Parts: sequence; C-alpha cells; structure tokens
Amino acid sequence: MEYPVQSGFRQQPEVRMRGAPVDPGDPRLLFDDTSAGGIGHRQALLSDPVSNLAMVYGSSLASHGREMMDQNLDRFIPISKLKYYFAVDTVYVGKKLGLLVFPYMHDNWEVSYQQDTPVAPRFDINAPDLYIPVMGFITYILVAGLALGTQNRFSPEILGIQASSALVWLIIEVLAVLLSLYLVTVNTDLTTIDLVAFSGYKYVGMIVGVIAGLLFGRMGYHLSLLWCCVSIFVFTIRTLRLKILSEAAAEGRLVRGAKNQLRMYLTMAIAAAQPVFMYWLTFHLVR
Amino acid sequence: MTRKFCCYFLTRSSSPGRLTVLLAMSGFDKLDADFYQSSFSVDDQNQGGGGYSNTDVQYSNPYGQYDYSQPMGYSAAPGIMQPQQPYTGQIFQPTPAFTPASTQSMYSSSFEDEPPLLEELGINFDHIWQKTLTVLHPLKAADGSIMNETDLAGPMVFCLAFGATLLFTGKIQFGYVYGISAIGCLGMYCLLNLMSMTGVSFGCVASVLGYCLLPMIILSSFGVLFSLQGMLGIILTAAIIGWCSFSASKIIISALAMDGQQLLVAYPCALLYGVFALISVF
Repeated sequence: MEYPVQSGFRQQPEVRMRGAPVDPGDPRLLFDDTSAGGIGHRQALLSDPVSNLAMVYGSSLASHGREMMDQNLDRFIPISKLKYYFAVDTVYVGKKLGLLVFPYMHDNWEVSYQQDTPVAPRFDINAPDLYIPVMGFITYILVAGLALGTQNRFSPEILGIQASSALVWLIIEVLAVLLSLYLVTVNTDLTTIDLVAFSGYKYVGMIVGVIAGLLFGRMGYHLSLLWCCVSIFVFTIRTLRLKILSEAAAEGRLVRGAKNQLRMYLTMAIAAAQPVFMYWLTFHLVR
Repeated sequence: MTRKFCCYFLTRSSSPGRLTVLLAMSGFDKLDADFYQSSFSVDDQNQGGGGYSNTDVQYSNPYGQYDYSQPMGYSAAPGIMQPQQPYTGQIFQPTPAFTPASTQSMYSSSFEDEPPLLEELGINFDHIWQKTLTVLHPLKAADGSIMNETDLAGPMVFCLAFGATLLFTGKIQFGYVYGISAIGCLGMYCLLNLMSMTGVSFGCVASVLGYCLLPMIILSSFGVLFSLQGMLGIILTAAIIGWCSFSASKIIISALAMDGQQLLVAYPCALLYGVFALISVF
C-alpha cells in the first residue's frame, strides 16, 4: 500500500517513499514486509503511519481547541449581539456623522422597533451602532500620533499610552453611568453595549477638534471643539432622554415628582460629562 | 494475517507510537474492500488554519468555480478522526472524486511521479498574476471567486519587497512591517466577521490585504528617488493610500457580497495602509 500525499495535510517529504520497493497495489504486502524484518530503510515506511497518526491527532486537538475557544468566547463576548451593532451601511454612517455634528434639525429621536426587537442600525438612524465608536477610537489614536509627530514628540510608545488612557477613561465613564443608572433605579432597556456606543460617539468631535487644531492652530482647535462639545451635549440629551425619562417627561410635558427630576439630572450629568472628557483627552495634543 | 501482526507486536515494538499504529493497522485487512471508496472529503478538512495547505485543495478546482467552503473549518475533522478508535482506511486515502486534475492523481512512490515543487507548495504563478492585475486595475470589477484561494505566497513576496525598498532608503524596519500587517489583519478579520453575513477566514483577509500592499511598494520606491515629505509626496501618498484601500475594499466586497458597505470597509483599510505610508514617509 502506498500513502499518497493528497490527504489535505502538508505531509513531510519523507512520507513519500523514495525508492522503497513497494508494490503500490497491495496493502498487505507492506505489513508483511515490516513484520518480516528489515529495519533499515523500512524505518521510513513505519514512521509514516506514526507521523500521519500524530498529524491527525494534532489536527483534531487543534480543532477541539478551536471549538472550545469559540464556545468560551461566546460566553464573554456575545458575538451575535455585537453583529447587530455592526449591521450598518454607508448611508447610515454618513447621516449619523452629520447628526453628531449638527443635531439641531432632527426631530424624531425615537428608535423604531419591529416586533419587540430594535431595528438594525441600517434602517433606523436613531439606533446606536458600534462601527462609528470603534473607528473613531482608532482614528483618534492615529490622529493623536500624527499631532504629536508634528510637534516632534512622537515615539511608538506614545501611541500605546494614548490608546490605553483613552480606553481606561471610556471604561470608567461607562461604569460610572451604569452605577448611577442602578442607583437611580431606572427601568430602561439600555444595555452596556449601548452605553459604550453612546460614549464612543464623542471621539468624532475630538477628531474634528484635533484636526482643526492641526490645520488652523489653537484658535481653530478651540472653536471647533466648542462647536462639537455643544453638539454632543444636545445629541446625548435628546437620545438619552427618551431612554431614561418616563414617557410623559420625554414628550416635554412638565411632570413634577422627585423621580423625574432625579432622572433629568442624571441625563444632564451624563451629557455634561462628554465635553469634559473631550477636552481632557485632547488639550495636550494641540500646542 | 492477524496472528502475524500480534507476533510482530510482541517481538518488535516497544514504543507506544508503534503500539497505537499497529493496533490501528489491525483494522486494515478487514477494510481492504473499501479502501478506495472512503468518503473522507479533503475539501472540508483543513480550511481555517494553514494557508498553504488550502491552495492544494483549491488549486484543483477549475478557476472561477464558486467555492465557499472556507468557513467550514475543522468541524468536519473530529468526527472522523478519533485517535482512540482503530483507524479505518479513510485517513490515508484521498477520495477519487476529489482529484479532477490528472496531474494530481495518486502519486506513486517513485521519484519521477512526484508533483512539481511549485505545485506542491501551492504557488500558482498564473493565479498570483491574475490577482496582481486585479489590484493594479482598481476600476475594473473584481471576480468574487478569486479570493477563495488562500494564497499567502504572493503577500509574503510583497511584504519582502516593501521591506527591501525601505531598506534602500536606509530604514531597516522589516519587524514593523510584519508586526503592523499582523495586527492589521487581525483587526480586519474581527471587523469583517462582525460586519458580513457570511464569515471570512483569516487566511482570506491576510491574502487580500497582502496583495493590495502592492501600490505601497510603488510609493516606497518613489521614496528612494526623492523625499516624500514635500507637497508632491503628500499628494502621492494620499493617492496611493486611496488606491490600496479602494482595491482592497472592492475585492472584499465582491468576495463577501456586502452591499452598500464599500466605503465602510475601505476606511479601516485606509487606516492600515496609512500606517504603512507613515513608515515609508517618516
């Protein structure tokens, strides 16, 4: 019997028995030969099944490991839920970016639902997504590197430092919002990923500010950052109002009561934190 | 026959490797009849991981045949190959149905019938050239099936060429090139898996991004001739980043059938190639 190479694995060259006088058609002959004797060049023959076996075992181990990793990964990071946040298209991203910079003309801020599940961001501009925050974060790091590079303060470690500090501030902010939502006992359908998305929208304003600062100097930086801060403030209030406040208050009617007032303050606090972070994370980049 | 086996086992072997092999082999004589009718399908077997072993499988498909078997990964394998069970003949035999091309039929053990080296390594120059042409003509529509071959030979060559052109300007930065490509490929792999309906394998992403590095080589070779930090250099850099990311996104879009997302895919590609351009320019 012979062992053809085509088993889909990359077998070692010695698997092909060069010059081994084996009748290709008869499998039993092989085994008879090895049992009869001849250790020398038959060793190559005998190691072939072992190496094949080892290879197959190794590959099955690898596939086992991969399955285990997939299962465990799904426990920590819900991949299917994440896919919802990335179901975007170019039109949505364009409109959303416009909304982040100029939210004053938009009237309907409600997220539309389809049989109890929120519609994908592709079809509803008010739905949160994760594409813009992730891309914004990465772009912010690169723009920060560029800004520091123009001031001759660049080294590759700086990128890592910027990235980790921005990430940590994001985590702190999301945890603080979660904690305050818990303390105020708001019944809302805001998930953690939603909060990450909303907190990530400020990177767009930060990038605009830093680029304006690079092109037009400090005055350009301050003006554009001011504009973006106000826009993000309005955007956050209008988006979160519908999620946190009760129905009546969200419609604008004045509803008295400590609960609603507390929720109003909470919304304003979250919205006010955005400009603070925006300034904190960018002022050292523009000189 | 079986007795001979046992005798051999008792007298000769002592290592556990041979023990398992011989235990496995004891099943062979019963299975002579279905040696060459095994249903072990090589196509499903090894798709996700090693790039070079895929090309052997894919190369035998006629060009242009749509083959989206890549996401299958290793899942077909464990059901067939449990090392504890006695081995059937399936592992060592390809299916006759698998090899349509005559050049890849059963290899005999003699030296002359071995496959040529390039074919065995899966380096198919014709396909490499086709893919290179696809990258160089960004306005021509791409064929969705060309990226079914996970071919890492071309991208490797391009990375080496990029590093070599950087070397001519005095920057010995092969490590940065490889590191950034690895991190960038990983990021794109995660993003594309989240954004597309069908998944994508890491080899496919690495292959596409590697092929679209070709215009960056042109940029860095210009960098040898004149400094890229002037206005002309900035314009050239921006144009080449746009070219790279446009062709990469075009190929990915056509391969994964994502509609209305070309710019969304092009933007992270542009970020990645922007980092390469940073290395070339500064």
